[in-house]
Amino acid sequence: MTLARLRRQSIGYALIAPAVVTVVVFLLIPIVLSAYWSFTEYNGVKPPTWVGLDNYATLLTSPRFQRSIWNTVVFVVLGMGLGPPLGLATALLLNRAMRFRGVFRVAFFLPVMTSLVVVATIWKMLYNENGLINEILRLFTLPGHNWLSDPNTALPSIVVASVWQGFGFETVVFLAALGGIPRDYYDAARVDGAGRWAQFRYVTLPGLRPTILFIYIIGIIGSFQVFDQIFVMTQGGPVNATRTMVFDLYDKFNSLHLGEASAVAYILFVILATLSWIQFRFFGEGDR
Amino acid sequence: MTARGIRRAALYGGLVAASTVMVAPFLWTVSTALKPSADVFASPPKLIPDPATLANFQDVLTLLPFDRYLLNSIIVTGAIVLLNVVFGTMAAYAFAKLRFPGRNLIFAVMLLTLMVPFQVNLIPLYAIMVRLKEATGVIGADTYFGLIAPSAVQVFGIFLMRQFLKSIPDEILESARIDGASEWRILRSVVFPLAAPGMATLAIFTFIAAWNDFLWPLIVTSSDDMRTLPVGLALLARKNTVNWGQTMAGTVLAAGPMIAVFLVLQRRFIEGLTAGAVKDVG
Repeated sequence: MTLARLRRQSIGYALIAPAVVTVVVFLLIPIVLSAYWSFTEYNGVKPPTWVGLDNYATLLTSPRFQRSIWNTVVFVVLGMGLGPPLGLATALLLNRAMRFRGVFRVAFFLPVMTSLVVVATIWKMLYNENGLINEILRLFTLPGHNWLSDPNTALPSIVVASVWQGFGFETVVFLAALGGIPRDYYDAARVDGAGRWAQFRYVTLPGLRPTILFIYIIGIIGSFQVFDQIFVMTQGGPVNATRTMVFDLYDKFNSLHLGEASAVAYILFVILATLSWIQFRFFGEGDR
Repeated sequence: MTARGIRRAALYGGLVAASTVMVAPFLWTVSTALKPSADVFASPPKLIPDPATLANFQDVLTLLPFDRYLLNSIIVTGAIVLLNVVFGTMAAYAFAKLRFPGRNLIFAVMLLTLMVPFQVNLIPLYAIMVRLKEATGVIGADTYFGLIAPSAVQVFGIFLMRQFLKSIPDEILESARIDGASEWRILRSVVFPLAAPGMATLAIFTFIAAWNDFLWPLIVTSSDDMRTLPVGLALLARKNTVNWGQTMAGTVLAAGPMIAVFLVLQRRFIEGLTAGAVKDVG
């Protein structure tokens, strides 16, 4: 009996071994190392020298890094302000028995499947001075614009491309969640005299609450890490107008400022952990 | 027309317009890739390439080894999907159904790592890969190992599979044990078949993430032979000598395989990708 149990235990360890080794070597050790490096000056060649909180102090007082935090926040707020509502709106339109529902769903989902590098490359061409977007504007006798070279429009333009790429995911997640709200709830609401808006407000929205929380947590974490689009479309320019935190990290990594780059990573981590905690704490206690 | 009819017309009109906005950029990409360079920014724009040419594709393939990128993407993504499904299911089964000291603690530590964004371990991970390459010459930075190993096991995948395997009744496993089946046998003949739908979800999830991954492949590869499709395309787009027709040809080559797979398996893909999300919520 004990022998059998012992054997079953050792099988448990054997089964988790590949996962544990991968997590320890490629996740836990690096996480600890970069925490240490964030307190050092390190260029990858000479051994790291301890500098205490210097990297954090330098970063947080540097106008360029402040700008990259601000740009990231603008990207997240605009993206999260546009994407999920757009996803919900399209899901509500598609949430009925209708012809071509599957075709529309595929159309919205197509960019989700495509890599951000592909999407960014396509949109860089669309935004070109002589690109399709300006041509369409000229068709309506509106002036064209150099979208990605103007510091005022570069970041919003990247947001538009990113929302275009991603909101189809929210569409299908909302669609699945809408299908999970029992029909009886709507019937009961109608019996009580609820109109379309009241049904949406008192049945649909509460029913979607956990989904909305999920989408915002995943979405905020994801958009804070925005990098691919920036790398392809603007390289952080013009004059840092699209420099985001992860692009800044990549830049510092490339110029072998590994200590500072690690500090950027931990600042990002602290921001994300705090935001997730706030979301769970204040919006997470669903009554479902 | 009745009020109902007008509403229906508006619904379809709106959806068709929105779908056009979603699909048109892709069609425009293909159209541009087939145009001679003089026609790329023709005004008014030429929607259909006339004359159409494959010159851009030939140029791109001589400029950069896109066929090699495709092969690399297939090898790397294939290996990552396979390893995640096998290792992820194994670990998930142990966490869901077996008892051993430290099980809950180990699982909790793993879940905690989900909180940490990839950028935190990115730089040390690269340093480890460089050291590995120096020490061994065959594995580490700029090798398939370097591209694959860090993604071989995703904690999120283990979490997903564990939720799935928990719904398998213990009685089934117990009766197999009473019949004298070894744990390995149970894993192979009972757990894996029952877990197949969950494994499909995990495979789809992993496939999309690995195929489209950019930051890590960008950093860990340095030779042209080791680039994956997204990295190759990004580097192509940054070459000054390349024109838009050629860039779009590269884009078609980079995006084509994924779009083809998606159009064939679209229902599975959409359901697989949402299943992970909805399961998490419910």
